[in-house]
Amino acid sequence: MFVLSASLSVPTDGNFADWVIFLTQEYGGIFLEGCMWTLLIALVGTVAGCVIGFICGSIQTIEIQDTDPLYKKLFIGILKLIFNIYVEVFRGTPMMVQAMVMYYGLPMIGISLAALPCGFLVVSINTGAYMAESVRGGIDSVDIGQFEAGKAIGMKHFEILRFIVMPQAIRNIMPQIGNQLVINIKDTSVLNVISVSELFFAGKTAASVYYKYFESFFIVAVIYLCLTLVISRIIRFIEKKMDGAADYSLESTGSTELKGEV
Amino acid sequence: MAEKKRKEEIVIRVDDLKKSFGNHQVLKGVDFHVRKGDVTCIIGASGSGKTTLLRCLNLLETPTSGQIYFHEQPITKYKMNIEQFRSRMGMVFQSFNLFNNMSVLDNCMLGPIHVLKKNKEEAREEAEKYLEKVGMHPQINAMPHQLSGGQKQRVAIARALCMHPEVILFDEPTSALDPQMVGEVLAVMKEMAQEGITMVIVTHEMAFARDVSTKTIFMKDGSVVEQGSPERIFYNPTSPYTAEFLARFMAG
Ligand SMILES: Nc1ncnc2c1ncn2[C@@H]1O[C@H](COP(=O)(O)OP(=O)(O)O)[C@@H](O)[C@H]1O
Ligand SMILES: [Mg+2]
Repeated sequence: MFVLSASLSVPTDGNFADWVIFLTQEYGGIFLEGCMWTLLIALVGTVAGCVIGFICGSIQTIEIQDTDPLYKKLFIGILKLIFNIYVEVFRGTPMMVQAMVMYYGLPMIGISLAALPCGFLVVSINTGAYMAESVRGGIDSVDIGQFEAGKAIGMKHFEILRFIVMPQAIRNIMPQIGNQLVINIKDTSVLNVISVSELFFAGKTAASVYYKYFESFFIVAVIYLCLTLVISRIIRFIEKKMDGAADYSLESTGSTELKGEV
Repeated sequence: MAEKKRKEEIVIRVDDLKKSFGNHQVLKGVDFHVRKGDVTCIIGASGSGKTTLLRCLNLLETPTSGQIYFHEQPITKYKMNIEQFRSRMGMVFQSFNLFNNMSVLDNCMLGPIHVLKKNKEEAREEAEKYLEKVGMHPQINAMPHQLSGGQKQRVAIARALCMHPEVILFDEPTSALDPQMVGEVLAVMKEMAQEGITMVIVTHEMAFARDVSTKTIFMKDGSVVEQGSPERIFYNPTSPYTAEFLARFMAG
């Protein structure tokens, strides 16, 4: 594909550094492509997982009242049960196994997915299960008084969640979202078992031609490390941004007197 | 004055209201009514059920038995549209409960925009008007965590006023404040009282209750011990409990 090797020759009795340079140049394109898929799957998986997590987390906040009609109690009860099972199953099994089960299992129920879409799906669903718990915790950490003040001005449950509680919950769980993104960058490596051409898979490909596993995976490790370091810095920057300015400007047009009429 | 008040329509009527948490009965059959323009102060020792009573009025708590009427309609009737009912009854909390993720101005615009379906310009104009009224207009861009307690509570009052409620419930609005900030909040409330806004106020500010309320209710252990004009409750209580409570409070 992106082979740049026209002028390169294989290091004959090359030492470690020579091989690293050679492999980087020979397989730069493959590493780059693997890097791109890793980032893309991790990012999309984290965002999609957050969406799933927010849906599950919001549903967990619905209180069933004694006065609610039976169908509503049943519907919400069953919904909560399904989401609970989902969270337990996907947190309780390794993502590598989930990838195998989905890749080879889905065709049996008539859904045939190529490796790459399957990879996106596995990471999203897996992240969703973890984010559901984080979101629930994030919502719980928002003061109950925020809900009540929203109710007291006549807002509906989902309006309160959307405008008041979720923005605060998101800020509270931003560190966990960032953490999950970093984990996903690393854990997409398990998708190599279903031959998704992410970074780990690229490392395997590059290593297998000359049997240079150490050199190849050294390059892979450096790339992973760069990705995770950059991503966690970006997340921290976003957190700072969300916290806003430390002070505010006074509005000059108003008067401070306790005057006026209702 | 008393004659004129008597003709005003009854906004809230509470009839034999009972509320239990588990087998702990917190309200043991409470009766009273609120007329339009009334300033009703509820006093009583801590734990006597004042907060629970107030929270039942706008259905933050579900009464166990008894009935609450809003404009002579049982509020269970509003169950189907509880949000609309709540929007007509404002509430000011002891702990302010300003929306932490928005500015002072947005706190006051949220309800009018999403509940009353006002457009942004109109909501902003009104919010600025009421913030000016409570003396918080200079801080419209501030976030709640940048304000003092007294400032927060004045914003919370403006937020309630922006909904044009028919009644505003106050649960110990000054209890979480440093002494020097109590006055600024009471001044705003006093002005609202003079403008004829209907209010139900749980308070430990006895001088305020005596001077501003049109009706004072004394509660003890989940029951109303006595209710009447502040003059009568404060200077001529019929129950020894009331006298004892007032003696303790007015002295301290
Ligand atoms: N959600 C609740 N669950 C159980 N008990 C409660 C709850 N809310 C209040 N109580 C109890 O009800 C009693 C009255 O409380 P409250 O209405 O807050 O009184 P007050 O506002 O007069 O101090 C207290 O004994 C309190 O412990
Ligand atoms: Mg209380």
